[in-house]
Amino acid sequence: MDDYIENENAYPDDEYIYNETFIGEDGEEYYYEEPLISLFDVVKEYDKGTVKALNGVNLDIFEGEFVSIIGPSGSGKSTLLNMLGALDKPTRGKIFIDGIDLVKEKDLSEFRQEKIGFVFQLHNLIPNLSVFDNVQIPLLPTGMSNKEMKERASEIIRAVGLEDKKKQRPNKLSGGQRQRVAIARALVNNPSIILADEPTGSLDSKTGEMILNLLMEMHERYNVTLIIVTHDNGVAALAERTIKIKDGQIIEDKYNY
Amino acid sequence: MSIIGIAIGITTIVALGLITTGMEDSVQSSLNDVGAEITVSNSSSVSTNTGMIDSEIVEEMKNRTGVIDAAGSLTVTEMNMDRLKSGSSDSRSSFATTVVGLAPEKLYMMGIKNIDGKVYENGSRDAIVGAEYAELNNVSRGDDITLQGKEFNVTGIFETGSPFVDSGIYVPLDTLQDITDNDGVSRILVKTGENVNDSAISEKIEEDYENFTTLTSEEISSIADDVLGILDTATLAVSALAIIVGAIGIINTMVMAVYERTKEIGVLKSVGWKSRKILTMILGETLVLTTLSGIVGSIFGILIPEVGLRLFDVTDFALGYSPKTFILAFGITIIVGIIGGIYPAYKASKLAPTEALRYE
Repeated sequence: MDDYIENENAYPDDEYIYNETFIGEDGEEYYYEEPLISLFDVVKEYDKGTVKALNGVNLDIFEGEFVSIIGPSGSGKSTLLNMLGALDKPTRGKIFIDGIDLVKEKDLSEFRQEKIGFVFQLHNLIPNLSVFDNVQIPLLPTGMSNKEMKERASEIIRAVGLEDKKKQRPNKLSGGQRQRVAIARALVNNPSIILADEPTGSLDSKTGEMILNLLMEMHERYNVTLIIVTHDNGVAALAERTIKIKDGQIIEDKYNY
Repeated sequence: MSIIGIAIGITTIVALGLITTGMEDSVQSSLNDVGAEITVSNSSSVSTNTGMIDSEIVEEMKNRTGVIDAAGSLTVTEMNMDRLKSGSSDSRSSFATTVVGLAPEKLYMMGIKNIDGKVYENGSRDAIVGAEYAELNNVSRGDDITLQGKEFNVTGIFETGSPFVDSGIYVPLDTLQDITDNDGVSRILVKTGENVNDSAISEKIEEDYENFTTLTSEEISSIADDVLGILDTATLAVSALAIIVGAIGIINTMVMAVYERTKEIGVLKSVGWKSRKILTMILGETLVLTTLSGIVGSIFGILIPEVGLRLFDVTDFALGYSPKTFILAFGITIIVGIIGGIYPAYKASKLAPTEALRYE
């Protein structure tokens, strides 16, 4: 990780050969690991360009990392997360995730279904479906058999400790329980990346801690890349790497240990 | 809530459909034409009640080319004095009844075929009465009725579907001629062969007999067609109105129901559902919703006018149940429901998931 080099405005394949060792000009040996996520000069404008939510973001994130994105409200951190989750497209720039060009690709539903687990700040659970059905939703388009789907959903509900709430509707649950359902839904299709937008934002500190522990446990157990957006320094400090963002630009990118 | 909204639309279409079909049916049956193709009467007669045509002419008519049968009929009007005095409240009862003298073997020319009981014989004091007459005057088989001051025994009751014929009394021609002191007939019914030109034959009759006027069934049915045509246009206008009102209600309900689910569609997209799968799901739900609403709406569409008719004691009008009404109502609901459901779903599925999720 020490060899991490910021590759400003560089596009992949042009200058770097990933995943091979080579000798640099200084005679030292270098190894460039291919990033899981690469952003090149990403700009996102709203209201016909009058609002720049992201203003030239370059960023590499590697497989298995736990990254926190921190910044004041309106800094563009949620917009960045939405771009990574293919929930929105940038106005300009390029985004590659696991070799897929998110800007060029027309149908991103398969990408979302296979690679991404998204945990929203406001859970976004479907109110008239039970906990079990909410968790099962991402599996429905996969062509999995009913039995497999049931097993998979039950397993993940057990993992987040909501086995006894399976049949309940989300409105009967506490905020922390709802967030756990949202995490179960995000994990059910074995994504390689979990994106969590202020997962503890609407929770009290104790419940928030529990949710964070759950996310970190999932990250460690399944080696998923975990990216959390937060405005809480304490939460950000738990991550291996913290990216500070302000006015749509990265102002700091550091490894915590 | 959605079911109620859509059901109201269907109720409107079904209820107005039943009423307009009922109107068409009742007019159509009133205009049902009789068996004979040409009716000949004496244009110089002041009233058809007097026998102004010589009985011998009936034979002449029968021998004309293209004619296969002819029959003379004598029509008299029987005043109903009792009814006049009692001032019956029944709107259908009339103060006068038409009594027709016609030979028993010629009854088919008036469309009288199905007789409950038996037909009279020539010269007898027997009569058959129309179903409508029988019902109104409480007459049944075996009863005696007084016609022209003479007693007649009712041997049968018939029904042709034409209210004009069914409200009359038929007796043997010779008996009626005898008691009314009449030799002639008031009308000649002429039956023509197949594939002959009825209007040509009727024109020829008018040419050969100066005083005679003829009326062909084609002319009668063309009058009927005119009436039905006007009614059809009116019905169409009412139906179109019902459909528009119903369709707007259904579209509005569906658009609102799906629009409210924009956020849900955003969630589904964010977890990897394809737009097509979302649209298929909404389509399936729309079909279930519209079918359920169709059943509920049809039940109310039948109940409301039926209860209305009973409440206002309307007896001479029946709702016209035709599968067309229900097929139309269901068809429109499903088509309009799909348009109303798929359009907002399509729009929502085209939004970036972040925008759909922002919807509250």
